[in-house]
Amino acid sequence: MAGKIRTKQDKDDVIAYSEIAVRNNSAVVEYCRISMAALSGGTAGVLGLTGLYGFGFYVLATISLWMMILIKAGGEWNKYFVSRRSLLTSGFFSGLFTYVLFWTFLYGMVHVY
Amino acid sequence: MAELLLDPNIRGWVFLPIVVITFLVGIVRHYVSILLSTQKKVELTQVQDSQIMIRSRLLRENGQYIPKSAFLARRHFFNNEETGYFKTQRRAPVTQNPMSDPNMISEMLKGNLTNVIPMVLIGGWINWMFSGFVTSNYCFSIFLLLFIFGRSIKINYNFYFSAKVPFPLTLRFKPMLQRGIELVTLDAAWVSSASWYFLNVFGLRSIYTLVLGENNAADTSRHLQDQVSGAAMSMPPDPKAAFKSEWEALEICEHNWALNGVDEDLLGSKYKNVDDIDMYSQSSSS
Repeated sequence: MAGKIRTKQDKDDVIAYSEIAVRNNSAVVEYCRISMAALSGGTAGVLGLTGLYGFGFYVLATISLWMMILIKAGGEWNKYFVSRRSLLTSGFFSGLFTYVLFWTFLYGMVHVY
Repeated sequence: MAELLLDPNIRGWVFLPIVVITFLVGIVRHYVSILLSTQKKVELTQVQDSQIMIRSRLLRENGQYIPKSAFLARRHFFNNEETGYFKTQRRAPVTQNPMSDPNMISEMLKGNLTNVIPMVLIGGWINWMFSGFVTSNYCFSIFLLLFIFGRSIKINYNFYFSAKVPFPLTLRFKPMLQRGIELVTLDAAWVSSASWYFLNVFGLRSIYTLVLGENNAADTSRHLQDQVSGAAMSMPPDPKAAFKSEWEALEICEHNWALNGVDEDLLGSKYKNVDDIDMYSQSSSS
């Protein structure tokens, strides 16, 4: 009987995800994230942000993209993504590379010379 | 920190071209590696083995969605002592030296050709072309001597620097960003052209994903993804060891029936009282 209760509780927790759909969703989110990193890096470069302001801008952009995705997903984000937090944190540093590149590039083009 | 004054021409003739060159070289590398890649010849037994491995892995991962009897039947097919696939199949241990296989050598050569050589060649070319100075140690020692003993001699630093990162960096970054320029007092935020190239190489990697799509050849980390997605062509190098580990993993795999009571959920709470009738007794026995 104890085993039965345990499985009953487990049953409520188990949400079956289609692996293909999850992979597709994460690929789409990855595209969004790369675009966001490039665009926000360009913006920061044109604005001439330096130092911590630039990194703060990246964090701001990441969080706002996360919010936008969650708003797009609506109240039932659980249907599309396994974890809400990993949606925010995954790919943070690979996006940072792209961001720094575009930031440096446009900052150099506009402000250095 | 004294600011450097850079010639605006550097922007047009050094800074921008490096970005464009790096990007286009990545694209060219993608298509060249597509051209060079050959379909690997595989034997029938190897394909069979890899498919069996994939099926066994799927059973381990998704076995909770089939009834216990079905799970056991499938596991019996793989793991039975007398008739199980993993037990009966005897593969000759593959102990071939990769160097003795001519196909392997040509594959490695192609991998080098498309990955390492452009990196070194273009990097060296950019270092030579855009630094305005032949970067050998000998020349640098002359340059340093000039710098140390003749401070009054005006040296044009414009040739060396092409960019500035818009954030302060510690001195630790100096050897990374100012390769070959050993000026202690200079701010680490200034970037030499060779380092700007390497910054591009790493930063543009995700842009290739955007431009060329997933699993492009310009991205060097794609080999990992091949293994994760379980490409049928990638066979285990030693089938015997792979079979043994898979047999072990399957043997200890426990069946937890995930769909227990799914019929009640489907029919609604009206039939809750049939809960006592333990139809799917396999769930509690595990």
